[in-house]
Amino acid sequence: MALPAHITATAAGATSRQPVYALVGNPNCGKSTLFNALTGLKQKIGNYPGVTVEKKVGTAYSQHGQPITVIDLPGTYSLAARSPDEAVTRDVLLGRRADTAQPDRILCIVDATNLERNLYLVHQILDLGRPVILVLNMMDLAARSGLEINVDQLEKLLGIPVIACEAIHQRGLIELKLAMSRADLPLARHAWTVPAAIAPAVSEIAAALVEGDRKSPLVARAEALLLLTDQDSVRVAGSTPLSPRTTEILRAWQSRWTQEGTDWAGTLVSSRYDAIGALAAEVVQLRTEVGPSTSDKIDAIVTHALWGWVVLGAVMTLLFFSIFTLAESPMNWIDGHVAALSDTIKSAMPPGDLRDLITDGAIGGVGGVLIFLPQILILFFFIGLLESTGYMARAAFIMDRLMSRVGLNGKSFIPMLSSYACAIPGIMATRTIEDPKDRLVTILVAPLMSCSARLPVYLLMIAALVPGERVPVFTKVGIMLFMYALGTAGAFFFAWLFKRTLLKGEPPLMIMELPPYRLPGFKDVALHMLERAWIFVRRAGTVILGISIILWFLSAYPKAPEGSTPTAQLAQSFAGRAGHAIEPLIKPIGFDWQIGIGLISSFAAREVFVSTMGVVFNAESADENTAPLRTALLSAKWPDGRTLFTPLVCFTLMIFYVFAMQCMSTIAVVKRETNGWKWPIFQTLYMTGTAWILSFMVYQGGRALGF
Amino acid sequence: MNREPTTAPTPLCQLHAGAAGRVCGLTGDTHFCQRVREMGLGESACVTKISGTTTIICQVSGTRIALSHAAASHILVEKITPPAPVAG
Repeated sequence: MALPAHITATAAGATSRQPVYALVGNPNCGKSTLFNALTGLKQKIGNYPGVTVEKKVGTAYSQHGQPITVIDLPGTYSLAARSPDEAVTRDVLLGRRADTAQPDRILCIVDATNLERNLYLVHQILDLGRPVILVLNMMDLAARSGLEINVDQLEKLLGIPVIACEAIHQRGLIELKLAMSRADLPLARHAWTVPAAIAPAVSEIAAALVEGDRKSPLVARAEALLLLTDQDSVRVAGSTPLSPRTTEILRAWQSRWTQEGTDWAGTLVSSRYDAIGALAAEVVQLRTEVGPSTSDKIDAIVTHALWGWVVLGAVMTLLFFSIFTLAESPMNWIDGHVAALSDTIKSAMPPGDLRDLITDGAIGGVGGVLIFLPQILILFFFIGLLESTGYMARAAFIMDRLMSRVGLNGKSFIPMLSSYACAIPGIMATRTIEDPKDRLVTILVAPLMSCSARLPVYLLMIAALVPGERVPVFTKVGIMLFMYALGTAGAFFFAWLFKRTLLKGEPPLMIMELPPYRLPGFKDVALHMLERAWIFVRRAGTVILGISIILWFLSAYPKAPEGSTPTAQLAQSFAGRAGHAIEPLIKPIGFDWQIGIGLISSFAAREVFVSTMGVVFNAESADENTAPLRTALLSAKWPDGRTLFTPLVCFTLMIFYVFAMQCMSTIAVVKRETNGWKWPIFQTLYMTGTAWILSFMVYQGGRALGF
Repeated sequence: MNREPTTAPTPLCQLHAGAAGRVCGLTGDTHFCQRVREMGLGESACVTKISGTTTIICQVSGTRIALSHAAASHILVEKITPPAPVAG
């Protein structure tokens, strides 16, 4: 069988320069899956729109072994970008990014099950006049939907290589790599007639862009069409303002059409769709009308007005139930090994500061946090499943009604849901939100969703709050669910407040694509879990180890006189003095100076609280785990003999951790995403202030009621 | 199959579940209209409402799109008879 022309032509090895391909397509059409398949990288994949919010660069190798640079760009429906992630795609393709050269070639990936809609972006990209390869992904799903796509005919009509592909099953990759290896990719036969009423304006604006804004003729035409499609010229032009002449011509045409009553933007989109419709009619045939798909049947329950909530509640309960039950054995295993290591060192070394530093400081601190690794892995496994199956978008759909009451829409719930794992990817995911005010509100409230770093604190406090193995697991699950619900309710309340005060605006209109359900990609979920486990272990081995050692030093020096009790030693140490300094501030919420040391240290990262408690309360390092630490906490007293960790204090401490902003990494990301210190400072103050006020109300209220 | 309009324009949110319509007008602000058009829900697109009253799911060219009630109220459709199922 003869190979198609795009495969047999000259190989790219003929040129010396490494070609650069940009990978673009609609959200959720499989770009990151293809990028990973081509480059061997492990970029995060999810079955919901907006997984990729920043460009990623990797190297693929042609069938001839030549390196090819591939840039994975965020998904977009159009080059007329409306959100920061879409602007990245537009700016890279138009050569506006100082950090990224304009790609030589473009890989357009489309979802074959919805060719017509996906071709809209392809059509705009073909306007750029650059060599394009079209990848028809999900051909298996298209066939299952009864669609037959004539790939050869599409290739003939467009005049560019068209590759049928199933990226998830690695099918079509060889043909794609062969096409990417070509030195002489043809330019598209891109026959599209701009509507007669608008054509003179396109020509005049394009000429002005060439002369006044130094654009190349093809980019100028594409940009002229974008300027007319999107009436916000600042948004289209990006950071470089248009020249006065171009602006003047654009305004003159717009005012003329406004007077004539011409909907020029709508006309342009419609004429593009007309051209695409004609193309699709020639290449796509619906062979069989299929009945309701599996996705339809699942959606009938999962998005149901009542059952949708039941499913969401069941998923969350199952998640927390698993955290408490499945993690027990691996936690005991880690605990045993940490204790054995500590014992070995204790028996091998003579007593002294160095031995205490290693066992009480390093092993006690790091081991106390590492023990929670299995529970964090279970959390990420569940979140990975939700992302991989397509449930995330449904959760956003269910939450839309609630979100609209606080002035946001369901789209804002995806970053908030991601923040259950970690606020950093959650805040990054807000780049898909179109309205800048809504995006800022979502950034401000996302860290209120309880992240995985709070998990060790909650678990320790629940262990102290409901001691004894006979307490039903559902009681513990219930307390945990309450904390997560409290954080979520707090996020909703502050979103409502900010939308009515600081960042006033109408609730945005939600329109969002629901991807079809897919079987979970267990390999991707496992890779993501391993990646997160590595981040957690690395953090335990660096930040937490460092803080534990420093904290041990601060709590061991200066030395108290010989014969002093451990408590007296801690009280007069550097850490003790710092704790005493903030005690007047935290005493009204039931915390003493020793807890104060934990609060100060956990501003680096919340889970440091647990290791700090291990060091401060001098728990038996031979078998340091939640149970003995819990015992040490429960035996801690105020100077007047009262118990320090009463159930009320444990509960108040959890409330404090739900609301307080205690994560330097999150503050750094918020600073980057909001371009300044104003909002991260505001966020730290409002969250920590709320944490104090609520803790005060709970503690004082609880005491007044006799708890 | 008959896909001729059968009624006067009605907002998409008022379409019954299972009913099909052809988009005949958009009444939201310019940005909303453009995004809706770019997502394939522009004038003359055929849309089937799947479910929902407060938040709506509809199907356009094989894609499921979720819309808030307010968004769906800005999309005017003419009811059409849905395509008859084709035997196997």
